[in-house]
Amino acid sequence: MAEFSKQLERLEAIVRRLESEDLDLDEALKLFEEGVERLRVAREQLQQAELKVKKVLEIESPS
Amino acid sequence: MGAPLDLVTAASAEGAWTVGEVTRRARAVIEAGLPPLWVRGEIAGFKAWRSGHWYFSLRDKTAQMRCVMFAKQNFRLPSPSDGMQVFVFARPSMYEEKGEFQLTVMELLSTEQGGLWKLAFEKAKAALAKDGLLDPARKRRLPQFPRRIAVVTSPDGAALRDIQAVVGRRWPVAELIVVPAQVQGAKAEASVCSALNRIRRLPVDVLLVARGGGSVEDLWAFNSERVARAVAAMPMPVISAIGHETDVTLCDLVADLRAPTPSAAAEAATPDRIEVLQHCGVLGQRLARALRIASRHVVDRLDRTRDRLVGSMDRRLEQSRALLTAQSARLDALSPLRVLARGYAVARDENGQVLKRVGQLPSGKAFRLRVTDGEVNGRVQ
Repeated sequence: MAEFSKQLERLEAIVRRLESEDLDLDEALKLFEEGVERLRVAREQLQQAELKVKKVLEIESPS
Repeated sequence: MGAPLDLVTAASAEGAWTVGEVTRRARAVIEAGLPPLWVRGEIAGFKAWRSGHWYFSLRDKTAQMRCVMFAKQNFRLPSPSDGMQVFVFARPSMYEEKGEFQLTVMELLSTEQGGLWKLAFEKAKAALAKDGLLDPARKRRLPQFPRRIAVVTSPDGAALRDIQAVVGRRWPVAELIVVPAQVQGAKAEASVCSALNRIRRLPVDVLLVARGGGSVEDLWAFNSERVARAVAAMPMPVISAIGHETDVTLCDLVADLRAPTPSAAAEAATPDRIEVLQHCGVLGQRLARALRIASRHVVDRLDRTRDRLVGSMDRRLEQSRALLTAQSARLDALSPLRVLARGYAVARDENGQVLKRVGQLPSGKAFRLRVTDGEVNGRVQ
């Protein structure tokens, strides 16, 4: 889940930036909104409750 | 098999035996007289045919004999090489077409330390090492949050069940792609290679190659140099879990991570969803707190501004109130009622008009006189 790790990495970067930098309110709000959205998407991706199992059959390729 | 040799008949040209009869007879004699036995000697002229059958000689200082080991007996074995000292368990026989005395080998053991397996293993390992495939620097990091996990294993083995259970419990977010392969037997090597080859083209984040425990022969496919090279060439990180913890195969050595069991491999391949969710929770809290802190100085400034605004309004109201009081005092002083109170009076005619001059007051004129506490009527005399 490359998308998921990117989501989480960006979220962590946002939190670090909000925590460490002196931002004006506009920018802070913008970052906060983005963070909340990414958190929502990340949580959603984690909601898949059942493992999908797919079997690739032997027929496909001789080698 | 065949009639007893009739020496009297065979002694004359008329009674001559055919070649086939003699070799068949010789074979019967050898097979009846020499039961299967263990023989030790040195291998010479080793040749493996495409059919999988092996042909070689076994010799010592004084003699040699032809040996054959058929594919159905040798498929589990790594091939020996010339000069190797071995034990064979074989059935002495006659290869009639060539009239050759021959051993049909059923088992072959090396006398070297660890036997043939060990030798073949070390040989393949050295070849892999020479190509840098065992270099620890080659080992890739596993993806933190795999989306697609491929598994090469037996479709009905415990290994697959274990992996499925662990991934399902820890990281059901993923998709498990099972590529079945024969993991033991003559076709295992080709089957595993073909499975690996198929996965190369799939968008997979991490690959598990797994097999439960078994004998050294059972695990042999995973000690094949061909399988090891195929594993090393996979474009995604590979976790290998072959046999028990004590069995280290070539496949384990070239993989990016070696796990002691299939379950452990599945565990290494996946994060725990509960922990990831908790981490998300913490990030959410930090996000909210950080915003609170980031906006604090703005809120402080707003608070201060409001205080100043209210303060200045209060001051202004106070000033206005004082002014009003002063003005009303002055107004009060000018009021006509105050003048009347001081003893002045106002005369008005019946129309309410103020009578200020003598000319307005002829004799007999009626008027009303306003004094401080009321009015009275009067008439000019």
